Amino acid sequence: MKLEVLQFELNARKVSVRVKPDATLLDVLREDLDLTGAKRGCGEGECGACTVLIDGMPVDSCIYPALKAAGKNIETIEGLGTEDNLHPVQKAFLDEGAVQCGFCTPGMILTTTALLAKNQSPSEEEVKVALSGNLCRCTGYTKIINAVKVAARNINKL
Amino acid sequence: MKKRGCGIGSMWYGIGNTGLPNPSGAFVQVLDDCTVIIHTGCADIGQGSTTVLAQIAAEELGVNFNDISVICADTGVTPDAGKTSASRQTYISGNAVRKAAQSAKETIFKKGAELLQVPEEELILKNYQLNSLKNYNIQISLKEIMAKCREDGTLVIGHGWFNPQTKGLDKRGQGIPYATYAFATQWVEVEVDTETGEIDILNVVAAHDVGKAVNPMAVEGQIEGGSVMGAGYALMEEIILDDGKIINSSFSNYLIPTIKDVPCVNSIIVEEEEVTGPFGAKGVGEPALIPTATAIANAISNALGIRFYELPITPEKILNSLKTANNTNKNQRDF
Ligand code: FES
Ligand code: FES
Repeated sequence: MKLEVLQFELNARKVSVRVKPDATLLDVLREDLDLTGAKRGCGEGECGACTVLIDGMPVDSCIYPALKAAGKNIETIEGLGTEDNLHPVQKAFLDEGAVQCGFCTPGMILTTTALLAKNQSPSEEEVKVALSGNLCRCTGYTKIINAVKVAARNINKL
Repeated sequence: MKKRGCGIGSMWYGIGNTGLPNPSGAFVQVLDDCTVIIHTGCADIGQGSTTVLAQIAAEELGVNFNDISVICADTGVTPDAGKTSASRQTYISGNAVRKAAQSAKETIFKKGAELLQVPEEELILKNYQLNSLKNYNIQISLKEIMAKCREDGTLVIGHGWFNPQTKGLDKRGQGIPYATYAFATQWVEVEVDTETGEIDILNVVAAHDVGKAVNPMAVEGQIEGGSVMGAGYALMEEIILDDGKIINSSFSNYLIPTIKDVPCVNSIIVEEEEVTGPFGAKGVGEPALIPTATAIANAISNALGIRFYELPITPEKILNSLKTANNTNKNQRDF
């Protein structure tokens, strides 16, 4: 298959990569760009483990054609914070014990970031609606909901 | 109409493999700078065993949690710790790590007793400091002991293993299948919509005897996650087979609870210390989901006056049972 050139902005850096025309964005991120933070849980848009932000909106990258990302601004968990300087949402997830196996975590955190960018103090119901596309098998969600509330509070304090 | 009901489920669960040996081993080394390395085969699959094992070693050796590094679940370098299953790792590998730390501590005590000129039995190791229990002014820092050990070429290394005391079951099913048991009771409140058959779980109160909660936040996480998994088991999860093949193997046709399905889970941690456990700890992994479905089924029956003997209790099943119950009532009236 002929490869096509794809250019977009990834975590505030311009990237250019040659991709198969039928590749998904998740394939390109994980296989070509070595960014394995986004996970493949189902590959069919059901679990949210592959969530990335495209122009600020959470999207299931496993069903997003890579070529559609041309010229767009993509943010993955790798671009959010560093180990020494965590993003407030990452910190809240750790502090509140909202991470167990961690498989859902990158998606949960990115979806939360997008929610808090739009809505600085979401109600519990709004948190649930925003995160309803992200499945978690481990935590029972209780601590995730707490973490989102704590993150909102901490961001508002900044 | 919406009807509410409450139900209770209780359980006991044996920690470890049933009536079989299932040992776990660990190595512990204290380094010159008082940091510690643990080697254990224990696989942390998200339940937090790595954290818990580090806490156990830190407590035993009187050092900070942050000074412990854990190398785990690498069959190339770590000793066998058995499977992460049967809710066994905190209890069994926890004991193994504790014993390995104790055996490393023996070297520290021996050296300390020699330097302080007091019997070993008199010593206590806490906050990087070895003290005499009889006279607190008699003391030496762990750092100094490690330096002395380095001087004379002594390495502070310990190993330990633990195998729960069990006895295989005989023909009549008699024996000692487990060395210890976890106990739990959960209470659930549901609301059933008699028009749609939909069931809403309003509240869960889950009380679990874990022996000792080495890490209370992680225990809560296990209880919350377990009860939500139990709710899925009670209300929606069902593997459908056709000719031996699973036909609903994707998230679109095998539904699990989403964040919108979860009730408020209130955990109550009961600490009845287990004498054979590391600092009294047992396990909580599976116990967290065992009583939930029972409690939910009881709550539904409390709300509707109808018993369900098959899971999952789907809206279809609720509506069918309501219909049958109505017809029986009518027939009885007509008669
Ligand atoms: S992997 Fe993309 S939604 Fe599950
Ligand atoms: S932490 Fe394991 S799936 Fe969410």
